[in-house]
Amino acid sequence: MLILGIETATAQVSVAVGGHEGVIGLFEVARGRRHAEILAPAIEFVLRQADIELTELGVIAVDTGPGLFTGMRVGLASAKALAQALRIPMIGISSLDLLAFPCRHSDRVVVPVIDARRGEVFWSMYRQVPGGLQQVAPPTVGPVDELVADLLARSQEVLCVGDGAHRYREEIIEGYHCEIGGDEHPSAAPLVQLAHARALREDWVNPREIHAVYLRAPDAQINWATRERRE
Amino acid sequence: MLLRAGSVEITHAIAAAVAGFARPGDMIVLAGEMGSGKTAFAQGFGRALGVTEPITSPTFTLVHSYDCGRITLHHADLYRLERTAEVADLALVELAEFDGIVLVEWGDVAGASLGDHLEVRLGVDTDALLSGDGDEELRSIELTAVGRSWSRRWDRLNTALEPYRW
Repeated sequence: MLILGIETATAQVSVAVGGHEGVIGLFEVARGRRHAEILAPAIEFVLRQADIELTELGVIAVDTGPGLFTGMRVGLASAKALAQALRIPMIGISSLDLLAFPCRHSDRVVVPVIDARRGEVFWSMYRQVPGGLQQVAPPTVGPVDELVADLLARSQEVLCVGDGAHRYREEIIEGYHCEIGGDEHPSAAPLVQLAHARALREDWVNPREIHAVYLRAPDAQINWATRERRE
Repeated sequence: MLLRAGSVEITHAIAAAVAGFARPGDMIVLAGEMGSGKTAFAQGFGRALGVTEPITSPTFTLVHSYDCGRITLHHADLYRLERTAEVADLALVELAEFDGIVLVEWGDVAGASLGDHLEVRLGVDTDALLSGDGDEELRSIELTAVGRSWSRRWDRLNTALEPYRW
């Protein structure tokens, strides 16, 4: 079964197609952050070069975040539109899972760190287990200080990956001795690989069940004291 | 920094002076009640950046974007929003980070979520208005830097705005 993977959670746009033979085609642009302009032509290009018709796709896989609001809106909307039009199921995978997966052979704790802007980062932690990775700390959002405090509290051998780890390299290393490496951006290649394993188990959902994971502050009523006074 | 604007033209001039110090990544919160001159400030600010199209209050579209060459000016209005998640959905911080300058009308209600910013609080002298003998055009404009992003520009901004001090 052929899977189209769409990844727009960070500054990068990444599109891949693949199946039981692995990743067949991959297209990535990490500059400009023009998700809306690049994504649709990228999908068309990858499929055409891999000689795959849209109607041959069996599943649409998408990165559900956490990440950029502006990027994920484009990725999720496009992925859902395709799945609905083609009447095929979807598989949503976290951006943090996608960053950790390429480091699955590391004997250290893998900590994907995604830039959440305003000095904050998204992170979670993974450890190698037979057959893959296991998440050992849930996705969290907070200032870089909080990430450092979390690393100190757990005091393990750590490999930090992702654009947040690269952007705040000095602050992280200053606070906790660890290695910063790996990929800056999650890629649609591991998205297709991970989605394929789930597709074999028919572990997929209807497009309407796919939601972005923003990890933002809890929603609250805006305090409109100033506006009400005038009305 | 408390400034005094006796006419729309002076509000425009103050906004243009602030625009002269603005750089990509800046977030500028426009606070003040209805009719206090938030949109007038935005118009002066946009014109100084080279926006030629008319700048109107984006109350019904939430965000207007104006291409000024190297940068994009985003003009947002939170007035119609009811929940903080709706503010988050606008991703104003991301718009700023991507070579943008963001002006946020009524942005003070979400100040904490906007990170470092310059707050421009506009006020009308209501006592003077009610008594009928005041200057109806008179506005107070108070600038406050929230966070560190404006601290290095503050002295120069202060000097540039000296003529408009209250």
